[in-house]
Amino acid sequence: MSIMEYNGGAIIAMKGKGCVAIAADRRFGVQALTLGTDFQKVFPATDKIYFGLAGLATDVQTLSEKFRMKVDMYHLREEREITPKTFAHMVSSTLYEKRFGGYFCFPTIAGLDAKNEPYICNMDGIGCITTPNDFVVSGTAENQLYGMCEALWEPDLEPEDLFETISQALMNGVDRDAISGWGGIVHVITPEGVITRTLKGRMD
Amino acid sequence: MEVLLGITGKDFVLTASDATVARGIVVQKRGEDKSRALNKHNLMLFTGEAGDTTQFAEYIQCNTQLYRMRNGMDLSTKAVASYVRKELATSLRSRNPYTVNLLIGGVDPKTGTPSLYWLDYLSSSVKLNYAAHGYASYFCMSTMDRYWKEGLSLDEAVNLLKKCLEELKVRFIGNLPKFVVKVTDVNGIREIEI
Amino acid sequence: MGDRYSFSLTTFSPSGKLVQIEYALAAVNKGVTSVGLKGTNGIVIATERKSHTPLLEDNSIEKVSTICRNVGMVYSGMGPDARILLDKARKSAQEYKRVYLEEPSVMIMVKEIASIMQEFTQSGGVRPFGVSLLIAGFDETGPSLYQVDPSGSYWAWKASAIGKNMINAKTFLEKRYSETMELEDAVHTAILTLKEGYEGTMVESGIEIGIAYLENTTTKEGDKIQQGRFKKLSEPEIKDYLANL
Repeated sequence: MSIMEYNGGAIIAMKGKGCVAIAADRRFGVQALTLGTDFQKVFPATDKIYFGLAGLATDVQTLSEKFRMKVDMYHLREEREITPKTFAHMVSSTLYEKRFGGYFCFPTIAGLDAKNEPYICNMDGIGCITTPNDFVVSGTAENQLYGMCEALWEPDLEPEDLFETISQALMNGVDRDAISGWGGIVHVITPEGVITRTLKGRMD
Repeated sequence: MEVLLGITGKDFVLTASDATVARGIVVQKRGEDKSRALNKHNLMLFTGEAGDTTQFAEYIQCNTQLYRMRNGMDLSTKAVASYVRKELATSLRSRNPYTVNLLIGGVDPKTGTPSLYWLDYLSSSVKLNYAAHGYASYFCMSTMDRYWKEGLSLDEAVNLLKKCLEELKVRFIGNLPKFVVKVTDVNGIREIEI
Repeated sequence: MGDRYSFSLTTFSPSGKLVQIEYALAAVNKGVTSVGLKGTNGIVIATERKSHTPLLEDNSIEKVSTICRNVGMVYSGMGPDARILLDKARKSAQEYKRVYLEEPSVMIMVKEIASIMQEFTQSGGVRPFGVSLLIAGFDETGPSLYQVDPSGSYWAWKASAIGKNMINAKTFLEKRYSETMELEDAVHTAILTLKEGYEGTMVESGIEIGIAYLENTTTKEGDKIQQGRFKKLSEPEIKDYLANL
């Protein structure tokens, strides 16, 4: 068993028309044993940037705290909000700092830049960034999520349609993964604000 | 084979830890208390590598008490859990990490609102309504899933705990004859017989 | 007993002064004049390149320097001290870029350099830097011009001058500066300001000029973008400006 599959979890981010969405499941478990069903895997960085962390739960928590601190320090020092692209590179260099003996976490980032252009990316545990134009997935349900997203995603989805697409992709993807699921959470980031909804799913 | 259990109730946290100290196939002691009072309203239970457990627990206990001396106030359960998580996470990436699993239970001294945190040796920390460490989790989580509800009275919580311990007696291969059971509420921490 | 309070270079005198900082400012005021002006679409910084002997290779002197792609600086005062600061600033800019894959803003560079200069007014066994800097750059907030003094204090200017002829130059700038000035005009005004206190005839090898402006470039992905850029003017470019005065 890989350490990346110790706690389980699934994360997706998708581009829409002038909006982005990021979603994750809510399970906290240790291998096959589920302990909690309200575990946070997606975190806000700014009003317009959210990041999700898939992998070992302890590193999810450690890194989320680290990034929160770094974003706050950036905000104070630079007297401006960080942009998604800059944030992604900050995350990447933070991970690569520990190239040997690193964190067991794959981050996913979704946000709107200064011109409200959608930005999504994800990376591996040592900070190698990929920035596709449609969607990114990570976690133990990655393969299932790829299938769902490939089938459901289409270009230029409006916020409500994007919400529906990402929710369906998540819920149906995690149902075929034993260690992801137990409800989900979706954030749709639009220039007007963030729409956050929790999803009820199979609790078995 | 060690067992820790925790159940939150209306205004208290009920915890139980097995009182057995074993090494290999030999039982060394039958009356061990695997918990430390961090301050008046917070209790930490621990299992894991012998030596690491008491060493780490006492380190945390000393520091939470030092915090009180320096600042004239106690850390909340959430603050204690965050502090312990940070300590354990730092230790995890050191040359010799502590191998300890923890339950931290406590109440808000003003409102009596209980909270219970589950931490493993990797330093994953989750806030739960009921929790178990060790093999007990495979036997007791389902029992607690079935019978736990919001706002349990102490009697109800004790009954639930008894159900869990009974399940262990029936289905668990390990022999754990004695448990140290404690209640943490606004009046402090006290041991009870069940 | 005049040296009663000189046991450490960075100790307050009874009147509440740090005399070493004042001496450092005196060194700046002996230095060659530098000027900086903000135009609507860019910044110019300029200084004299003085050689005391015709035997010296003029182009071996560099007083206007690039810190990173979009920020540059010029100093008045002690050349060797400025070089240390330039090295530290360049390194800090690259460290920033290493983390964010983005050029630092002018303000970030100024804060970084100012904090280094402040450190040398409070540490033991060191002396303050004998330079004042004019830092010019172009970032997402537009063009900006800062002055940093040996104490570590800094200000944002529309136009400023430092060095030997500072007072005259500032008086000149107050008369000639206008906020609606474009970069071309700003360069002219900068040259005219330097000319005020210039001994002899001004030739292209006798001054150094750096400008910060917005440049049209294409990214690796092929997107056309505008980016802040700092560059030094070449001698032929300066020659053209001098001819058009």
